[in-house]
Amino acid sequence: MNLHFSGNRALVLGGTCELALLLAHAMIESNLFPILTYRDDKGLCAIGEAVGSFQGRYATCYLNLGDRDSLDSVFTQIGDDLNFLVDFAQGNYESLIAGADEDSIYSYFMENISFRAEVLKMAGRAMLKKRKGRLVYISSAAASRPNPGQGFYAAAKLASEALYRNMGLELGGRGVTTVILRPGYIDAGRGRIYLQKQDRKILKMTPIKRAITGEEIVQTILFLLSDSAAGINATEICMDGGSTYVK
Amino acid sequence: MDVFVELKKILEELLDLEDMELTPETLLIQDLGAESIDLLELAVTINSRFKIAVKDDEIFLTRFRLYFTDAEKQGKDSVHYLTGRYPFLGEDRIAEIMAHIKEGPQLKMKDLISYVIYRSRGV
Repeated sequence: MNLHFSGNRALVLGGTCELALLLAHAMIESNLFPILTYRDDKGLCAIGEAVGSFQGRYATCYLNLGDRDSLDSVFTQIGDDLNFLVDFAQGNYESLIAGADEDSIYSYFMENISFRAEVLKMAGRAMLKKRKGRLVYISSAAASRPNPGQGFYAAAKLASEALYRNMGLELGGRGVTTVILRPGYIDAGRGRIYLQKQDRKILKMTPIKRAITGEEIVQTILFLLSDSAAGINATEICMDGGSTYVK
Repeated sequence: MDVFVELKKILEELLDLEDMELTPETLLIQDLGAESIDLLELAVTINSRFKIAVKDDEIFLTRFRLYFTDAEKQGKDSVHYLTGRYPFLGEDRIAEIMAHIKEGPQLKMKDLISYVIYRSRGV
């Protein structure tokens, strides 16, 4: 399937995770220009190792969740020239709710919800100037089906989904649309670590009896960014092999 | 750049206005029917065309009524209090808005002009 894209500059938040790097590679091959965010030197090196051979066909910028100066700097760097946003950014905080550290509760929600709202505000305004833009939020099947210990993660994901959904409702008429992707068990990044801990037994419970591959996620994101998916707005798509509906 | 002429152009484009005479006294919400999404788009366009930082709450006087009530509750001089909140508006304009506030949102073209001029000075 040949995908057509309206524009080419894509801000990729959380641009150093395995999926983001796979996406960056696929974007470059599709003549898109990913702008990958990183928060430390290790992340910057990971970007270099993954796509460094494509000099001039991608960019990087520093962004740390909760650091507003770094956010200003990102939008100073990219200006209003933004067509797409793909959001992988997500801090990890696993704790039983009754056992959570109070300071961590506040900082986690500030970084993963309030700060994201500010990112959305800035991206939305940049896109509104062109009356065109597409935002894809990478959520998780755990948003609706969390395991014990994932309460904060799920709450942050659901709240962030609500922000993206509403932006699609509010700006859809001006050409700025959103979609949320909820992957299930993924054979990449944190998902792979979790599956290894579970000795992959959990996959027997999924209807497709396997994990979703990183490449499948990446190709789905590209489709969601393309003009072919323009009618999909302000909604979430579950990509978990059918696990959500297993009794 | 004539601020009024440029703002007039922007509003005509955004609100698809035809054959409507815009003056500094035109009310954006009552006369032009501008909705919240229109104001949002107006804010980003003003930011882009005039190269100034725009705070939506400030330029559109969104909290004017709230500040007015606060001043009354605290027994403060309302005009003085509101001038502090909206330094781009003169005391006469603040008093004028207060006098008509019960008639609905009082945002006028001339308020936008004042804001653009004020922000253009780098304030």
